[in-house]
Order: sequence, then structure tokens, then C-alpha cells
Amino acid sequence: MLGTAILLPHVLLLGTSESLGFAPQSRPATDDSLGIVVNRSNPVENLSSAELRKIFMGEQTHWSNGRRITVVMLEPGKQERQAVLAQIYRMDDKDFNKHFLQGMFTGEIRAAPKTLATSTEVLKFVFNVPGAIGYVRGTEADESVKIVHVDSRLPGDKDYSIRLHPKSAK
Amino acid sequence: MKYSTLPRIKALRALILTGRIPGMLKLPLLLGMFLTCPILYAQQTSAPTDMNLQTAQSLLERMDQLEATVRELRAALAQATAAIPKPALPQAAPPSQPEPEPQAEHAASEGMDLNKTLLRIRGFSDGTLHGSNLKGDTTSFSLGQVDLFVTSDVSERLKFLSEIVFEAGRDNSFGVDVERLLLTYSFGDFLNVGVGRFHSAIGYYNTAYHHSTWLQTTTGRPFLFQFEDQGGILPVHNVGMTASGRIPSGALGLHYVAEVGNGRTSRSPLNEQVQNVLDENNRKAVNFAVFARPDAVRGLQAGLSIYRDLLAPQNSPRIGETIFAAHAVYVGLNFEWLNEALLLRHAPQGTSRVFDTPGFYTQVSRRFGSYRPYVRYQYVNASQSEPVFPEVGLRHGPSVGLRYDLSEFVALKFQYDYTARGRDQAIHALALQAGFTF
Repeated sequence: MLGTAILLPHVLLLGTSESLGFAPQSRPATDDSLGIVVNRSNPVENLSSAELRKIFMGEQTHWSNGRRITVVMLEPGKQERQAVLAQIYRMDDKDFNKHFLQGMFTGEIRAAPKTLATSTEVLKFVFNVPGAIGYVRGTEADESVKIVHVDSRLPGDKDYSIRLHPKSAK
Repeated sequence: MKYSTLPRIKALRALILTGRIPGMLKLPLLLGMFLTCPILYAQQTSAPTDMNLQTAQSLLERMDQLEATVRELRAALAQATAAIPKPALPQAAPPSQPEPEPQAEHAASEGMDLNKTLLRIRGFSDGTLHGSNLKGDTTSFSLGQVDLFVTSDVSERLKFLSEIVFEAGRDNSFGVDVERLLLTYSFGDFLNVGVGRFHSAIGYYNTAYHHSTWLQTTTGRPFLFQFEDQGGILPVHNVGMTASGRIPSGALGLHYVAEVGNGRTSRSPLNEQVQNVLDENNRKAVNFAVFARPDAVRGLQAGLSIYRDLLAPQNSPRIGETIFAAHAVYVGLNFEWLNEALLLRHAPQGTSRVFDTPGFYTQVSRRFGSYRPYVRYQYVNASQSEPVFPEVGLRHGPSVGLRYDLSEFVALKFQYDYTARGRDQAIHALALQAGFTF
């Protein structure tokens, strides 16, 4: 009976668009940093900015444990996506599309990032796919996923680099 | 024995309709009613029509018991959920956390849904209006290649890739070529092994743009990298095996490509130039390339390659072919600078003569919004007695043009080419092209 009850949250949550029901990771409500999130089974704890860029650009395709990397992006128009395009990709949506179109055409990039509509969907996708990596606002990250350090810093830390409004970094 | 369940079922149905049955029990009860319908129908003639009040009362009591049970189960579920150890912040996450089931990835990698196509198709094409002062040339509208780029993730590590190109020749009739067809197994970032037909990793241009003019800044390839059936001098395509990957080199970003294949035919220029099915000799063409993409300068790539093959032309001795290539390119979002040089060496066996054909091109462009003006200078110089390409000779000259991105997926280009040809008349050519992806 207990075993069934433990499995139920995982089973029931698949295919729904509602919150996974995990407790949020504590962040100040005013924090505008974006958390880079991976599946909790992923052994990675820290990524440098250069590594993060290679991963998001599709230049690094596998994690150290051999899992294929699946990058997940929010759909165009989202503020978080614009911040990631500006600070990680350093390009706009058009250049982003051309980059992946050309990369897949040459065969160097296996697939373009998966696009999802909401942060909740990102969390659910990362929760379900061991090789996934995505981003959500630091205040939205819950314990269904793991937030990785970027250059040894976490969202909310001083000098954390990925923010909705980079100029507001203190 | 006369024992009828029909009144009980009717009572149940009434209870369901009035909402007295808990939601989670409705489905099993309805299913049970459905399955027992035939039996009940057989009993109907002898069943009493009035509902037994005592039976209904007992059912209501039973229902109350079930509701109590549901409450207990919900309480147990809440306790069990609370008992799941909650992960702390990343730095403190214990490795023994229960890992979530990788449902989505399993579905994608292990199970193949036969009702769902695995193919992804992207198209590229162009149309060009062009003319020149070359004798015999006429100003013409030309349909470009219709390139269907098809990929498929066969499995987690196996990937299929192909370029199927529909192209009209100088006789105006369309033909179909499978320009690339590659099945690649990925061992990771450090080793990918493919088999099929691919573009040789000679230099940069050949593997950067393939058969799409839309991706290229200019209206066409540099002469050095023209396709075989358009008079190009390189073995642009190869059929065989390829291995590629990253070389552990930190910020230097080294990569390698190793290829072995049939190479290009040399028996007769009338033959299909790519040896798709049969090699004219047992010697295989080999190519090895290494290049760097340093972290310090994003967009910079510099590399070398060497290609070796043995050609077997009809009625002449075999010819050793060696191609040395070097490139340094910078492709940023706004600024582009491509530089490539190569030396193609043909060494007929049994003689001490070698025929060297040097060539290079440099191309610079800068984006200003939707506009990208560009200039290219190219040079190739083959000996008049070159045993394989006697018609090439000396060609050199600049091209200037403007690319205008009409939309995200459509580009208009206008280009002027000047080509000096040794003692022959120089060629002036103009081209207006619309290249697009769909």
C-alpha cells in the first residue's frame, strides 16, 4: 500500500499541465536570476559559462555520464528566453534559428532545442528526461529538478551571471 | 434458484446519478454494470420491478464504509508523500535520492512508435537570373537545386541524414541525386562513425554549406569547391566511412575527421564522377582533417587536411592524387572572413613529373541589418598539361555582391563576377538570386 502511494505522485503528474507539487527551492521573491536546471539524476553540479554556452549551442552533445543532452527553451516572446538568448547564446531569435538550421544541416548538431510554453512544462520535462537542461526563474525552481552552479555561483548569489535584467546585478 | 441482481444494479445506477457514489468508484461500478448487462437482460423477465428498500439501505451502509475507507487511504497517501525525502539545494543533494523515471527519454529511445514518422524534412532551393559575356551563354532564368534535407533519429545513438536533390541540367531536364546519405552512430562527442555518401572534409566550405545556397552568403560556391558535375576539380563527394569528433584539448577546441572511401572516378569525364556503387580500383581514398575552434575567439576555425587517392584513367598510367588544404575562417554574427588555400598534386606513376595546382579564395562580408555586402577573390592555376583537368588553366578574379534577407528564410542576392582566364577572354557575369529554405 505504501509503495503504491509513493509511486502515485509520479504517475499522476505525467501528462498534466499542473505543478509537479514539489516544494519550491527557496529564493528571494525579488531575485531576477535564472536558474539553469537539470534532471536530479544528472551528476553535474557546476558549469562554466563557456561550457554552458557549448551545451546550449549544441556543440557539446553528451553529459559526462554518457547521456545525450536535450536542451529545452521557452517559446519565443518569453522574457526568460530573451535573457538566455542575449546572455548565453549572444544572438537573437533569427540568428538562433539559423545557427541550429545550419548545424543540423552540417550534421554537427543533432537536434534543435525543444521548445516549451511555460516554466512548469520546463520543470516537468527536465524532471522526466535525465539528459535535459533548461532554465526557469530562480523563484520558480522547485525540488523536482537540480539547479546547477554557473561559474560556481547559484541564482541569488552575488555576481551570478544569468539574469532577466543583467544591469540590475549588484 | 431465482436470484435477481437487477434491482441492485438499478439502485446503484440511481445512486451514481444522484452523486452518492465517490468519484473514484464510479468507473469500476459502471464497467461492472456494462459487463453484466447481457446476464441481466436474460434475468429480466423473471425479475421483480420494484426495488427492495432493505437492499438499498444495505448498499447505502456499504457506501458509507467505502467512503470511510477512501478517507483513510487519502490520509495514508498524504503521509507517504510527506515521507519522501525532499532534496536539498544542489550542493547538498544526496546521491541516494530516488531518481525519477526517465519516461520521456525511454519513449524516444527504446520504443519505436510505428504510427509516428521519424523523418524530419527541411527544404532548400533557389532561382537565379544570370547572364555573362561568355560565348554561347545566354541570359536565363535558372531553377536551382531543390534540396530535401531529411534526417531521422533512428535511435538514441543512430542518426540518419540525407540530401535528396532535384536539379535541372543544361539539357533543361530534371534529374535526382542523392547527394548525401549517411547513417551515423554516436559514441559521444569524441567519436561519431558514419557510413554512406558524404561531403569530403577537404577544407571548410565543402562541409559548411553543402547544397544550400540560402546558407551561403554568395550566389554560389567558390570555383575550387564547385561540385564535380559543374566542373569542380575536387572530390567533393565520397562514398565510404567517416569518423569524427572532438579531441580533448580544452580551450583549444580541436576536432578531427578521418574518412575512407571510393574517391572520385578518373576513368572518363563522361562517367558519373562519384563512385556510388563501384570503385574503379581497389585503392581507397583517404582523408584526414584536424581543425581548432578556440574558446577565446568564438567563430574562429582554423584547420588542415590531407587527401590521398590513386586515380586510374583509361589509356594512361595511374596517377597519385594528393590534396593539401588549409583554412582559417571567422564567422561571427555580423562579420565573416573566409580564407582557404589548397594544393592539388597529381603524380603519374612511372614518371618523375608532378603537376601542382594551387588555388585559394578569400571572402569578406559584413552585415548591416538585413543587408550584407560581400567581396570575394579567388584564384586557381592548373597546368595546361595537367593530366586530369587540362581545361581548367588559370582563373582568377573578384566577385562583389549584396545579400538582402527579405525575411528570416528568404534571401535575395545580387552578384557580379569577373574572371580572368589567362590568354582567353575574361568573363563578366551578373546574377540575381532568390535563395530560401522551407
